[in-house]
Amino acid sequence: MARRLTTNVLLTLFLALLVVFILGPLLWLGIRAFATSWTYPNLLPDGWTLEWWRKVIADNQLSTAVQNSLTFAPLTVIVSAVICLPAAYAFGRHDFAGRKIMLVGIFATNAFPKMGLFVTMASMFYALGLMQTVLGIVIVHVMGTVVFMTWIPAAAFGAVPRSLEEAARDAGASPARVFFRVTLPLALPGILVAMVMSFLASFDEAQGTYLVGYPDYLTMPTQMYSLVLNYPLQMAAVFSILLSIPSVLLLALAHRHIMGGQLAEGFQLR
Amino acid sequence: MRRTRVAARSSGQPRAVLGFVMALPPLLLIAVFAGLPIVLAVGYSLGHTGGLNSVTASYAQHQHVATSGWGTFAAYREMLATGRFRTDVAVTVLVTLLSTAVVLVLALGIALNLRLRGGRVAGAIAALGVIPLFIPVVIASWAILTFYSTDGFIRSVFAQVGLDAPALGFKVVTIVIGSVWTSLPFAVLMVSSGIQSVPDAVIDAARDSGAGLLRTTRSVILPMAFIPIVIATTFTAIGVLGSFTVPYFTGPNSPRMLGVDIQNYFAAYNQPQQAIVIAVTIFVLASGIAVLYIWANFRSANSKDL
Repeated sequence: MARRLTTNVLLTLFLALLVVFILGPLLWLGIRAFATSWTYPNLLPDGWTLEWWRKVIADNQLSTAVQNSLTFAPLTVIVSAVICLPAAYAFGRHDFAGRKIMLVGIFATNAFPKMGLFVTMASMFYALGLMQTVLGIVIVHVMGTVVFMTWIPAAAFGAVPRSLEEAARDAGASPARVFFRVTLPLALPGILVAMVMSFLASFDEAQGTYLVGYPDYLTMPTQMYSLVLNYPLQMAAVFSILLSIPSVLLLALAHRHIMGGQLAEGFQLR
Repeated sequence: MRRTRVAARSSGQPRAVLGFVMALPPLLLIAVFAGLPIVLAVGYSLGHTGGLNSVTASYAQHQHVATSGWGTFAAYREMLATGRFRTDVAVTVLVTLLSTAVVLVLALGIALNLRLRGGRVAGAIAALGVIPLFIPVVIASWAILTFYSTDGFIRSVFAQVGLDAPALGFKVVTIVIGSVWTSLPFAVLMVSSGIQSVPDAVIDAARDSGAGLLRTTRSVILPMAFIPIVIATTFTAIGVLGSFTVPYFTGPNSPRMLGVDIQNYFAAYNQPQQAIVIAVTIFVLASGIAVLYIWANFRSANSKDL
């Protein structure tokens, strides 16, 4: 009995520490978006204001960055889906020579540091005239989504029970009908998770976008770099909250499937 | 389970060809926009300055040009002779080891607690560990810096009771804190998925035969969840090893992690060749870790086929 109590106390303590560790920094930054000023070592700001929100919304450069981010992320998801989903289906459902090596090969580039990859890509992008183009940025973003968009849906397609499809075929459904009415709906949670992860990857990408897009195309994360250095802290805080909104909305949409193991399934090659 | 799935994968001749063709596009994309640049980069680091490398080579400072057919190791020798670089390699490896170890311990704790005790608190702890997945790394790094810095929350709280806590901004420790924060979700998802899938019957059988909680964990649960744990470990380590944003925002100017060094040599010093030498160094270290991942995956595939 006493031992159980001790474990419970320890667990509660661990939970409290984890709350501070995970949420503390976010709250500490979030409060700043509504603060007039903040004097150390007070635990709350000196006063409250919405002034910084007005300033961010009025700033042309910043609102352009918001628009750019909201354009590039969906565009990336669409392009990535078109390129990767047929491949994911093939990996999940067909057996062919080199299948496993190809699956691993998709990941191989991730072992090369992103920063180094961008440095090496830059030279080639110059030669191909992809610098400061939408296509160039989309390529950089899509590269960061290939692992998610191939591996996770591949596992989802692979896990669709064949018996259900065969039953549909036996009942006289055409192959296309079986795919759209049976296979696709069952694989949809995995595809959804892949899309959310790809959206976040694109939304989060900063260095590659900066290297390829500067100064014509700046997204929200690339602007964060200059914001932190050149603007009042409160404005960067406002911007951080804005930048987190899409992610939090997507969390609400997909958290059940992500926690349910769709993401984890995709990373175990089969 | 896995056996039937593999068996059910269609492998007729024409369909196999179709499958191969369908699987090609992402691989071609990677081959053109990652594979080719990496090959070119390695060539450039060995002193091959012609072809697609000529644009970079035209503005590069302090460049070593190949004199023999295969190239020269001069750029590598130069970097390895720099004390600064050697320190940065050591710090990068240290941060990677520490962060991976902490992430793994936390993820295992969270997952085991969820599996063996369950309940609402355990679920809340697991959900909490996944939250950083949805916060852009730029914001996370900056939030963590302000939280631990000189006028941050931790010091403010201590100051309330008259204590002087250390300022943790721009320290190597801050990089570890940031790396753990950003890497935790993936590890929690991977490890808890692995541990959740250990059947109740197996755990009950172990407990019935007199095995304690620790023994059940060590000799039943952990071996059965081995692969997801290896995946969590390797991906965390590779991610931290090549990271840029977290060390760039939260870390000190010296020593620096290699990811930040790449950017500095490339943009600030105009020495792309040296930047690539650093990138290749990270790549070699990461490849070592990746081998572990591939080995674990293939080992499992083979053992299931027996």
